[in-house]
Amino acid sequence: MPAATVTPEIRAIIDPLVSSLKRQQLNGDKTIALAVSQLLMKVIAAARWTNPYDLIDIIRKVGTTLSSAQPRKVVTGNIVRRVLALIRDEIETEHENGATPMMSSMFSLLSTTNDTSHKEQHNQSKKQMSELRSIIIQGIRDLVDEITNVNDGIESMSMDLIHDNEILLTPTPTSETVLQFLIKARQKRKFTVLITESFPNYIKQSHSFAKKLAEHKIETILVPDSTIYAVMSRVGKVIIGSSAVFVNGGCMANSGVSHVVECAKEHRTPVFALAGLYKLSPLYPFTRDDLIEVGNSGKVLNYDDFKLVDNVELVTNPLDDYIPPENIDIYITNVGGFAPSFIYRIVLDNYKTEDNSLE
Amino acid sequence: MPPKNKKSKESVQDERFQAIVLTDSFETRFMPLTSVKPRCLLPLANVPLIEYTLEFLAKAGVNEVHLMCSSHAEQIQQYILNSKWNSKNSPFLIHTVMSLESRSVGDAMRDLDNRGLITGDFLLVSGDVVTNIDFERAMNFHKQKKLQDKEHIVTMVLNQASPLHRTRSHVDPATFILDKKTDRCLFYQGIPPVDGAKSSISIDPELIEDIEDEFVIRNDLIDCYVDICTPHVPQIFQDNFDYQTLRSDFLKGVLTSDLVKKSIYAYISENSAEYAARVESWATYDAVSQDVLARWCYPLVPDANLIENNSYTYEFSHIYKEEKVVLAQSCKIGSCTSIGANTTVGEGSSIKKSVIGRNCRIGKNVIINNSYIWENSVIEDNSVLNHTIIAGDASIGSNVTLSPGSVIGFNVKIGNNKHISHHVRIVEKPILKDSFDSDSFDTDASDVDEDAQQPAIPHIELNIKDIDLVGEDGDGYLYVSDRAVDDESESEYGDQYSGIIYQFKHLNVSDDSIASISNRKGKKRSHSRTRRLSSNSVISTDFEGGAFSDDEEEDFAKEAEATVHRALENNHDLDTALLELNTLRMSMNVTYHEVRLATCQVLLQKIVEYITTDTLAAKEATTKIFTQWGPMFKRQVFSEEEQVDLLNILQDKIAKLDKAYNQIVLFLAVRILYELDIVEEDQILNWWKDNEGDEDKDIQSVRTLTGQFITWLQDAEEEESDEESD
Repeated sequence: MPAATVTPEIRAIIDPLVSSLKRQQLNGDKTIALAVSQLLMKVIAAARWTNPYDLIDIIRKVGTTLSSAQPRKVVTGNIVRRVLALIRDEIETEHENGATPMMSSMFSLLSTTNDTSHKEQHNQSKKQMSELRSIIIQGIRDLVDEITNVNDGIESMSMDLIHDNEILLTPTPTSETVLQFLIKARQKRKFTVLITESFPNYIKQSHSFAKKLAEHKIETILVPDSTIYAVMSRVGKVIIGSSAVFVNGGCMANSGVSHVVECAKEHRTPVFALAGLYKLSPLYPFTRDDLIEVGNSGKVLNYDDFKLVDNVELVTNPLDDYIPPENIDIYITNVGGFAPSFIYRIVLDNYKTEDNSLE
Repeated sequence: MPPKNKKSKESVQDERFQAIVLTDSFETRFMPLTSVKPRCLLPLANVPLIEYTLEFLAKAGVNEVHLMCSSHAEQIQQYILNSKWNSKNSPFLIHTVMSLESRSVGDAMRDLDNRGLITGDFLLVSGDVVTNIDFERAMNFHKQKKLQDKEHIVTMVLNQASPLHRTRSHVDPATFILDKKTDRCLFYQGIPPVDGAKSSISIDPELIEDIEDEFVIRNDLIDCYVDICTPHVPQIFQDNFDYQTLRSDFLKGVLTSDLVKKSIYAYISENSAEYAARVESWATYDAVSQDVLARWCYPLVPDANLIENNSYTYEFSHIYKEEKVVLAQSCKIGSCTSIGANTTVGEGSSIKKSVIGRNCRIGKNVIINNSYIWENSVIEDNSVLNHTIIAGDASIGSNVTLSPGSVIGFNVKIGNNKHISHHVRIVEKPILKDSFDSDSFDTDASDVDEDAQQPAIPHIELNIKDIDLVGEDGDGYLYVSDRAVDDESESEYGDQYSGIIYQFKHLNVSDDSIASISNRKGKKRSHSRTRRLSSNSVISTDFEGGAFSDDEEEDFAKEAEATVHRALENNHDLDTALLELNTLRMSMNVTYHEVRLATCQVLLQKIVEYITTDTLAAKEATTKIFTQWGPMFKRQVFSEEEQVDLLNILQDKIAKLDKAYNQIVLFLAVRILYELDIVEEDQILNWWKDNEGDEDKDIQSVRTLTGQFITWLQDAEEEESDEESD
C-alpha cells in the first residue's frame, strides 16, 4: 500500500493559503482559524485514503506546511490538531462499536510507534470509509460553528464579572472579543473603560476601539502607555484579549500587555484573559523568543530620519508579549472560566497528545 | 488569487492587470559580477533580487507578468521556469520576453509595443525593486487621477525619505517638482554632476509659467521606478525613438514636450512603515541588505522564506539562521546577520551586519564586518573582511585583509597573507568586452544626466593578472573599467559620507530663488540657458554649467541647420522637417529660440545661394523660399514675444547680408510672414518701435524698405480704427 503522501491536488489546495499566510494577507486569528478549517475540509474531501491513519498522516503533513508558513502563529497548528483529535476520536468510537477486540484499541492508546499493526487490521470497507469521511467533515463544520460563535459564549459571562461603576482597563484594542464582551456588559451595567494607546503598532486600532465603545455609551478614556502604573490604583479589573493560550496557563498577547499585567500584579488588580477555545494550544512555551514575532522597525523609528537609522545599533519592534501564568487570574473561554492552572485539563479534553508534534 | 475586492468596484477596468518587469537595468554598475549573472539574480540577503520584485507584484494583485530579458536572458528564463512562480498555483501567469536586442529601457519599451502585449494599464517595475508599499492605495490614486485628468499616463510611486538617505540613489539623485495640490509632476531633473559634485539644478522658467497653484520642489524622495502606466507609454517611446531611459529621457521629455501634452502624477507614500528601494549600485545593495535584515521592509524579511526551501528563523537582535548552521562555541554573531544552511564558523570568529550564504566555511578568528559572502565561499583563518562583497565559490586564504569597497568575483582564489586595497575588484577571467558596448546615441547630450549616458560610453577594460594581487596560489584578474574612477568614488561604501554626498548637502533650493524665478518670467525673456537656479555657495558651478550648455547650443545649431538644409535640398514636406527639428530640440533640450535661429539661418543661406548663382533675383528668391518654407515658423512661434523674437532674428541676420539686396529680403520676409499670419500686425509694430533707436548702421539701412511696409501697416490700422470709430 502506498504511504500517505501530499498529492499535487492537495498541494494545489493548500498553496494559495500558504502564500497568503506568508504574505500576511489574512488578518486576525479568527480569520486564519476559519480559513484553515475550511482548507482541511477540502483536503479531507479531496484526499484519497483507504485507512484513517493515512488520513492522519496527510493532515499532519499539511499541518507542518501550514504552520511553517507563519511559524509564530499558534492558531494554525491548533486547528490542525483539533481536526486530528476529531479523527482519532472517530476511529476510537469505530473500534468500540466494531468487532475489533478491545485489546488492540487499548494497545493503540499506549503506543504510537507501531501504526502498521492498525493499518492491517483496519482495512475497512469503502462504505465505512465514506461514512467516516462525512462524520469528520461534519465534525469540522461543528468546529467552524464554534469558532464563528466564539464570542457568544464569552459574552454571556460578562454580566457576572463586571459590576456597576467599575473602572476597567484593556491593553488589547485589537481584540474583537474584548469589544463584544464590553458592549454586552453595557446592556445591564454602567462602567468606565480605560484603553491604552498601544503605541506604535496598534495606535489606530486603539482609537477606533475607543470610538466604538463611546458609540455604545460606555465612558471611555484613552490613556498613554506610560501612565498605566499611575492609573492602576483606580482600576478594578484588567481585561486582556489573547492570541494563544499555552498548556502551562501562559498566553500570548499584544506587545505592551506584559507591562500592564505586571503593574496589575503590583496593585493586586485582577487580570481576566479572554480566549476562545480554539486559541488553547497543547504546546508548552519553552523558548519565549521563538514565540514573539518582530515587526516593522519603521513603526518605531521613522525611516526618513536617516541619521538615526544609520547610527543606531538596533531597532526592534516586537509585536507580541508572553504573559506568564502567575500574572493572570482567570481565563474566560466560551466553555466557561478557568484558572490558569486548570488549562492543561481543557487542553487534554480537546487535543490528543500524539499530535503535539506534527512532524 | 486575483484581488476580487479591487476589481469588482472598477468594472471598467480590464480584468487582467499586467506587470512588466525590466530585468535588465542596461547599466554596468554591478560589473564585474553582472558579467556572470544578471543583476536581478544576484542574491540580496540570500534571496535572488527578482524574488522581492515578484513578491511585491503578487501582493499587488497582478495577474500577468512579463519579464523583459536581454542580457543573460537564458539564465533568467531558466530560473523562472524552475521557480514557484511558474507552478500552477502561482498568483499570476509569468512570461519571459526575450528582448535580446534591447540596449536601453527605451528599446525594451519599443519592443514591448511591437509585440502588442499590453492590453490595459500596467505596472512597470525594474527587476531590482524591494518594497512593501500598500499598492492598492497607489492604484486607487492612479484611478482617481485618471478620472480627473484624461491626459494622465503615468503614476510614479515614490517614497518619502531624506535627501541624504542611504537607500536613496547616490548615483542618480533627482529632484521632482510637483504641483502641491494635485501631486502632478511638473518637472524632473537629475542633479547635474559638475566636477563630481552634485550641487544645482536648472529649471526652465517656461515650465513654471502655466502653473496656477503652489508647487513643491522635492529632493527627498526615493524613486524606485515603480510606475503605473497606461498603454500610451510604450507608444510614446515608439514615437520618440531617441528615448533611452525612463526618467531622464521619457519623463523629462513628456513633461517638457509641447506636442505630447500628457500629464504624469506622483504618488508619495508617507507612511513610515512603508519601504521602497531599488538595488542599483553597490551602495544601495549594502543599504537595502541592511534594511531587509533590520526589518524595515517587514514583512519582506529573511525569515519570511521567500524561496521554497529556505528555512530561516529569527532570533532577537536581527539574527537569522538557517538549519544546520554550525557555529563554534567562542564565535560571536552580532546584530543584523544572516547565515545560510550548512555554513560553519570557526572558533573566535566574529560576524556583524553581514550576510553569509549557504555552504560557506569561515575559519578561525576571522572578522567579518558589513560584508556579503555568497554561496560556497571559503574564508581561511585570521582574515579580516570589511565592507566587501565576495561572490559565490570564491576562496580567501588565511591572514588576508580585504579593505572597504573590494569586490571578489565568482570563483576567484586569493592566496595567503594578501592585502586587497580599497575598491579593488577581482574577476575570475579577463572580461574582454563590455556587454553594453553601445554605438548609437551620441546625440543624446542631455546636460544633466551623465549617469544615464554612461552605458553609452564604450568601456575599455584592462584586465591584469596580478600575482602580487592574488598571490602565488591565487586565481584572479584585476578588473578595471574606465568608469571605475568616478564610479567608485560615487558608489562604494567607504565614500558614503565624503565627496559628492557632502556636496549634495549644499543643494539649497530655497523659496527665495523660486520667487526670483517667477518674478523674472514676466519680464523680458532671456533665452540663454545659462540661467540657473542654484545655491549661493556654488558660483563656480554656474560657470561650468554655462559652458556646458553653450557647447550644446552650438551642437544643436549645427544639427538643426543640417536638418533644415536637408529638408530644403530634398524638398521634404513641412511636417517631416518639423518633426525632425522637434525631436532634435527635445533630445538636446533647447528652446524654440535656437530652432528659429537655425531655421532662419538656413532659409537665408538658400536665398543668398539663389541670388549669387543668379538663378533667381532677390525678390523672387525671397518670395519663393518664404512662401514655401515660411509656414515652418507656424510651429516654432507661439506667443507674441516669440513673434518679435523671430523678427529680430531675421533683422539681425539679414543686416549682415549683401547691402545690394538685403532691404528687399527683409521687406519681403516680413510681408510674407505677415500674410501667412505668422506674425501679427501689432507685433510687427512693436518690433519696429523697439529697434527704432538702434545705433547700428547696418540695421538702420536694412530697415529702410521695410519702413514703407510699416507705414502702410500703420495707415491701414488707422483706417481700420477710423472705420470702427465711424
